[in-house]
Amino acid sequence: MLKSVMLKSVMLKSVLGGLALVALASSFSTARAQDAARGAALAAERNCGACHGERGVSAMQDIPSLAGQQREFIALQLVLFREGLRDVPPMLAAAEGLTDEQVEDLGAYFASLPHSPPEDRARRNVGAYNNGAALANRLRCGVCHLPTLVGQNQVPHIAGQREDFLASTLRAYRDDQRRGSDTQMNGVVQGLSNAQIAAIAHYVSQR
Amino acid sequence: MASAILSRSTLAGALSLAFCLPALAQQPASPPSWAQGRSADQATSPLAPHAPRLTATPVDRIPVDAIRVPQGFKAELWASGMPGARMMARGDDGTVYVGTRTIGRVYAVKEEGGTRTPRVLAQRLDQPNGVAVRDGSLYVIAISKVLRYDNIAQNPNAEPVELTAAFNLPTEAHHGWKFAAFGPDGKLYMNIGVPCNVCTFDENRHALIVRYNPDGSGREVVGHGVRNSVGFDWRPGTNVLYASNNARDWAGNDTPEDTLHRLTRAGEHHGFPYCSGAAWQDPGHTGRKCSEFPAPVALLGPHTAPLGMRFYTGTMFPEAYRGRAFVARHGSWNRDAKSGFDVVTVALNEDGSQGTVEPFLTGLLDSGDNSFKGRPTDVLMLPDGSMLVSDEHNGAIYRISYQR
Repeated sequence: MLKSVMLKSVMLKSVLGGLALVALASSFSTARAQDAARGAALAAERNCGACHGERGVSAMQDIPSLAGQQREFIALQLVLFREGLRDVPPMLAAAEGLTDEQVEDLGAYFASLPHSPPEDRARRNVGAYNNGAALANRLRCGVCHLPTLVGQNQVPHIAGQREDFLASTLRAYRDDQRRGSDTQMNGVVQGLSNAQIAAIAHYVSQR
Repeated sequence: MASAILSRSTLAGALSLAFCLPALAQQPASPPSWAQGRSADQATSPLAPHAPRLTATPVDRIPVDAIRVPQGFKAELWASGMPGARMMARGDDGTVYVGTRTIGRVYAVKEEGGTRTPRVLAQRLDQPNGVAVRDGSLYVIAISKVLRYDNIAQNPNAEPVELTAAFNLPTEAHHGWKFAAFGPDGKLYMNIGVPCNVCTFDENRHALIVRYNPDGSGREVVGHGVRNSVGFDWRPGTNVLYASNNARDWAGNDTPEDTLHRLTRAGEHHGFPYCSGAAWQDPGHTGRKCSEFPAPVALLGPHTAPLGMRFYTGTMFPEAYRGRAFVARHGSWNRDAKSGFDVVTVALNEDGSQGTVEPFLTGLLDSGDNSFKGRPTDVLMLPDGSMLVSDEHNGAIYRISYQR
């Protein structure tokens, strides 16, 4: 009974996708909006938009879009950068000295921006898309990232992300060059070929 | 499906388990370690481990008012501002050292003028969960890295002595985080968990409780077949070790139960991966039977994740609580209806072979909407007879006291 209720709620969540975020935001409205406003000022101060795009949609190769990203995911990654636990040289200075509150404000800000695929997104290659979809299904990406790939909590929104960034991230997980807050992604992509990773990245970027 | 899982120890750092997916061309891919053993009908389950919170929870949002303890007991906030606070050890000067996992820090909490301000003693470590103090030295264990900070009370900024090579611990990260404590024999005890949910593995290398001389020499296996124990202690008045243990996932909402074990004979096998919980035979591992293993002393509930566990040795609490084990149950993820998120006590019978479980600290789990406000992770007894409880979710430590 409970399980069916929960499954239903997850399905609903996945159907509503972005709407759920809006609903969540409105229920916490004032506090969250204040956090996002402080985050916007801080993002301007730290010049996040120079690489991630003025409205959080990246036009630069291998730089992720952050607009509409999960709030908790952003906060968690910023802490990993600040603590020296995730090694991306340009983010060293960007995350230096951030307080916990600032980290949460930046999460609220990027989560509040409207998600959009990059303007330079490639045209869909039906063969690669279908291969990628089959692989994503086999690897059960939709369990944690949800069937619409919008993510939840610490699990990132990956649908519509830059294809080049998705591919380089998957390769980094496969080659043990990156870990999340745990080792789950390393296990998922273990043994994938570059061609398989390219297909998954194409499929996810087109969602 | 479990039978398709084979052990292999190949790439260092990578998860060493493979799972055959026929449609994936050349090489098999592995599911995340926590998902191994998941059956086909659970493939769409939304259950997954809970997100760690790595930012400090402001004092006014720490749920100390939600905590319920038996009549006469009081729960108060003792220290906060320590994201990811987990295992605790107390130095001779009263400083409490706190290990973490994801955030990679060790905190030191010292009482000064009635207030306690945590400081970051070490950082950038890989899951430094294990902390223990002996002869003025703090030992920190981060997966396979072992550090010793000498004269830590007098020299709080001491550079550590690296003992990693001497201990030569396995490097697998999954279930590789340590609980550490010194035994009455002066040896350093720790767990070495299994690097999977359930699999076939080297039973002399994983699913162990081991002890060493403090310099890393003299490794001995104290217990085999303990899937992952993140809390243990010796029963007062005896030298007998008791250990909490986390049973496997994806075998149903109510099976197998997590357990408390008594380790009476060094080297004894406690059942994993063949037998877990209440004599539950794992259908994927039938090579040995439950009758071959000592039964657990107490059942602590399915998926509740009993972690830190210590016996009550003080006199502040009422007579009935003295000598009981207090067990922090971190709380379930692999169960539709959440359970745990509390502290229970286990009262042992005279010969210590059986225990009775009772709730002690509750209120952090809301069964109504299936949500939690905090995650008790370790317990630590203070010299005045009060007890500390760490809450990883809120980066806080509570103090539980009793007034007649």
